[in-house]
Amino acid sequence: MTEMDDRTIQRDRMRFIKNTASSSLAILGILFNVFYFVSIYQSDVGTYYYKILIGVSIVYNLIFMLAVFLSSEGVKNYQKNYSYLLAVIGIGQIVRVFILPMQAHSATTMVGGAEVLVMGGGQFAWTVGCLLISAVCLLASAVINLVKCKELADHMKTLEANKA
Amino acid sequence: MATLSIQHIDKIYDNNVQAVFDFNLDVKDGELIVLVGPSGCGKSTTLRMVAGLEDISAGKLLLDGKDITQTPAKDRDMAMVFQSYALYGHMTIYENMAFSLTLRKENPNVIHKKVLAAAEILGLTSQLNKKPAQLSGGQRQRVAMGRSIVRNPKVFLFDEPLSNLDAKLRGATRREILLLHKRLQATMMYVTHDQTEALTLADRIVCMSMGHVQQVGTPLELYDSPNNVFVASFIGLPPMNFFDVRVDGDKLTGKGFTVGLTPEEKAELRGYEGKEITLGVRPENIVEGSDFKAAVTNSENLGMNTLVYGNVGGTGVKVTAKLKGWKNYRVGDTASFSFNRKHFFDKETTNAIRGGK
Repeated sequence: MTEMDDRTIQRDRMRFIKNTASSSLAILGILFNVFYFVSIYQSDVGTYYYKILIGVSIVYNLIFMLAVFLSSEGVKNYQKNYSYLLAVIGIGQIVRVFILPMQAHSATTMVGGAEVLVMGGGQFAWTVGCLLISAVCLLASAVINLVKCKELADHMKTLEANKA
Repeated sequence: MATLSIQHIDKIYDNNVQAVFDFNLDVKDGELIVLVGPSGCGKSTTLRMVAGLEDISAGKLLLDGKDITQTPAKDRDMAMVFQSYALYGHMTIYENMAFSLTLRKENPNVIHKKVLAAAEILGLTSQLNKKPAQLSGGQRQRVAMGRSIVRNPKVFLFDEPLSNLDAKLRGATRREILLLHKRLQATMMYVTHDQTEALTLADRIVCMSMGHVQQVGTPLELYDSPNNVFVASFIGLPPMNFFDVRVDGDKLTGKGFTVGLTPEEKAELRGYEGKEITLGVRPENIVEGSDFKAAVTNSENLGMNTLVYGNVGGTGVKVTAKLKGWKNYRVGDTASFSFNRKHFFDKETTNAIRGGK
């Protein structure tokens, strides 16, 4: 079998095999977001503004998980539009690095008369890391799905042309 | 494909119940063997022993000359199609058909080609993205067959695959199995209790009763020359009529009737002069004539044929005749019949009498 034949078969398989790579990456994105918010909710800067942000973050996390889960099902079935949604949410994850984690990392609190950082370096690295990994997963899921959608669409066109 | 040799196989369960007695059969390459018999006769047990799903208590099983008696089912290179389809409901048809190959970690591209080829053979190409629940019973059974085909096994085993289907679909799927066999030229063993399936599908039929093989032969041999009363009564629809008769010179005397014997029949009954035997006559071998009279107890017009049920000479001996064409018999009418083909069985052994051979 030639290499070209293999590629054609690979594309043809997409007609019957779900896009589990994109779907799994999206679910992984949710998982790292969970690690992120478990970590971020351990910190409390103590300001009213920060408390509001935490509240908004909780609501956002709920919407995030719902949207990414739905998107994971969408990309599993090679639906292009969900790629755009995942890309936007992925970029949102990068933006989130500069909201709660940055504030918590730059704020201090008094413990036993000593001033300490609300979020230490290690926790900060872990929290930011989780957000970034989540972002990478979502963006990768979106890109892979877009590429596969295009390949599948091209392949379907070829099949239809051959039929005609 | 492959040859299969089943040598003196017994099946004895832990509670000492013996389900199969001394089963012997050589299945040729590309042959379709049908095991037929009533429920509990040991046909499915035999098939399961061949598949490796049941231990073989005694005897040997050879595949292409290699002893596989103790080989686990997964290593026997046989595929089995069950009555209940055994499909995974959460997987698509494509995934169901590809599943066994995926487990074997075969190249996905190779799997793809095999699944598409099998789907093409079975006419399932347009159904590959559906789930089993979205398909009809016949289509599901085809998927089950497709799952076997992709494995390219040496032997296909079918355990009453059509029993869950309605009569119309059963006929259609039966024809598909026959076409599949002709196309694949595969060695197949098929279990059924339906004699129509057996007669239409088989290259050879193995007729079983109570764990014993009663006769092995082509469908015509079993129909035309049954070995014993059991095979004669099991093969053929409506079943064969049996009469207790005595051999009196060149005639047979039964309860309420006397029929003449041809010189060939007389020769066949050599050694039975004056003895009681069992006369078997198929309903389709009874024609309107003058040998004996029967009081009609029921009549069923089937279009091309008419089934007439009656009592011979008012003796209570029942007879069923399958007459050609549309006949207008009513209950209570007297019908006159003749036999145009007779089968003779020893009354004690129930074995067929074949010219003293």
